[in-house]
Amino acid sequence: MSDLVLSTTPLEVERERSAVGTLRLVQTACILVIALVIISPLFMLLVASLKDDRFQILADMGSFRAFWVSNPTLSNFAEVGNLSGELAYGRYLLNSLIILACTVGAGLIVNSMAGFVLAWGSLRGRALMLSVVIALYVIPQESIIMPLVIMVSRAGMTDTFTVQIVPWVASPLYIFLFYQFFAQLPKELFEAAEMDGASVFRIYRSIFLPLSLPALATVSILMGIEAWNQYLWPILVTQTDYARPIAVAIATFFGQDSIYWDRAMAASVLMMIPILALYLAFQRWFVSSFVGSAVKG
Amino acid sequence: MTLQQPALTATAALARPAQRKDKGRRDRGRLFQEIGMLAPAVVLLAIFLIVPFLLSFWTAMTNQPLVPRPTPVRFIGLTNFLRILKDDLFWTSLWNVSRFTFWILPVQCGLAFATALLLHQKLPFRNFFRGLFFLPAITSMVVVCVIWGTLFQYPTGPLNQVIGFLSGGSIQPIDWLGDPNWAMFSIVLLSAWQAYGFQMIVYLAGLQGIPDELYDAARIDGANAFQRFWHVTMPGLRPTHVFVLVITTIQAFKLYTQVAVLTQGGPKSSTETVVHYMVRTGFEEQKLGLASAVSVILFLIVLVIALLQRQLLRRFDV
Repeated sequence: MSDLVLSTTPLEVERERSAVGTLRLVQTACILVIALVIISPLFMLLVASLKDDRFQILADMGSFRAFWVSNPTLSNFAEVGNLSGELAYGRYLLNSLIILACTVGAGLIVNSMAGFVLAWGSLRGRALMLSVVIALYVIPQESIIMPLVIMVSRAGMTDTFTVQIVPWVASPLYIFLFYQFFAQLPKELFEAAEMDGASVFRIYRSIFLPLSLPALATVSILMGIEAWNQYLWPILVTQTDYARPIAVAIATFFGQDSIYWDRAMAASVLMMIPILALYLAFQRWFVSSFVGSAVKG
Repeated sequence: MTLQQPALTATAALARPAQRKDKGRRDRGRLFQEIGMLAPAVVLLAIFLIVPFLLSFWTAMTNQPLVPRPTPVRFIGLTNFLRILKDDLFWTSLWNVSRFTFWILPVQCGLAFATALLLHQKLPFRNFFRGLFFLPAITSMVVVCVIWGTLFQYPTGPLNQVIGFLSGGSIQPIDWLGDPNWAMFSIVLLSAWQAYGFQMIVYLAGLQGIPDELYDAARIDGANAFQRFWHVTMPGLRPTHVFVLVITTIQAFKLYTQVAVLTQGGPKSSTETVVHYMVRTGFEEQKLGLASAVSVILFLIVLVIALLQRQLLRRFDV
């Protein structure tokens, strides 16, 4: 806004415009302050992971050097990214990736099939089953974990990948999300395919599933975050490094007296990358489909 | 059922014309397929959710130890519950999660709401900021603990430095995790930082759900910005508010990872939480029966909060 433009506009419009301008400025300033608060801890993590000297990291903490690295090195990543060795996080990372992929993969299939049958099936008592699913959602993971630990240890399943994957594949929340998504698709879609003689599975597989990309993306992100960040369950059911996920490995490491901050920071950065990639890949569909249904449901 | 059902359908089919018979066969095939598609979810939910849930009520009424003993497990009724209700540490943990909830609700939800209101405006780069603010929400709580564990360092950690700098040195360094008066509040700070992006997105969706016509109508009626906010935005967000507050409260009562990694319930039990108390009873003291009683109590708390949500939503006619 140049002076010339301002002087030619009527006084009221001019005043309103400058008020809106001031408001925008204040709003932008607020956003930038919030952004600073949100991003600076993450930025500090990234910077610290690039420093090789763990004593230097602690010494830098007290100054603005916490946000600056003069000679960045990837040696921490090389160290923790190994598949073997004392501080090798590569294998825990790999363990976590296996758990993530299997849980989400199986979860998408199992929950979407169930949601589809609840939405379009012809079984009697569908409404009742749906209410049961919604009711089950209230049970927190934390309050079934005690008996579940006894069950899996009696079955000799501790310290396996299976025990970290299978219990969390089917979930009332995701069945319900899929149900809601499928149920809002037009009835004609189902009827037309049925007239053509397609079986239920086929209608699900070739018509409804390809249309449910937003729901698949949402459930992938939510399940992915959940599987990736599991902490309580794996500490209870893993005793050795064999199937231990990275979250537990970092926490164990963190609890020791002499913390290798440099390595801990690098391992933490490595832990963020896969889930960030998953989120960036699917976020386009994430917001719209999840939030609408979650708030109403 | 297996013997009778096919016979019955077969006789029924005989009475029908040929075309009907074909359709009947297809219906039966369809039924089998539907059962087959539903079965994995039903079986998994039964084994890994319903059975342990029912078992937790049973275990809570026995003297079940973690490691099997030669003596048989005995049914002891409500003894475990009585013992827990007499344990001061349990009440401390309940009091602590209540304190946590009391702080996290305004800090986290307030911040999320304010940010959502800001990002709902036509600000430059708002999609970028939206993604940015969600970053902590996808960060594992363990990683968040590593980050904030360094920020909280006493006395020269970054947080203390920033506060000292902003206050011109008049505020003394705070022992964030080591001072019983501050430890829970520190946990609140890092938890709010981690999870608020999620709620911000929920609020943004809620804001987008309010029709523009309502704002236009209010404007024509001469409502100013504050009136539009109070009479259009706030009523339109009622279900969102209820959802966010309830989810946050339930999450708050399940507080565990932050405490387990950073403070182990200390100092002086000031960050002991219900789930941490449960895990300690079950796995360090090896008293699974007692721990199951805690888990039943936790379930009842969550149930009450969820029922409250339904009541509130019904009152608001959603």
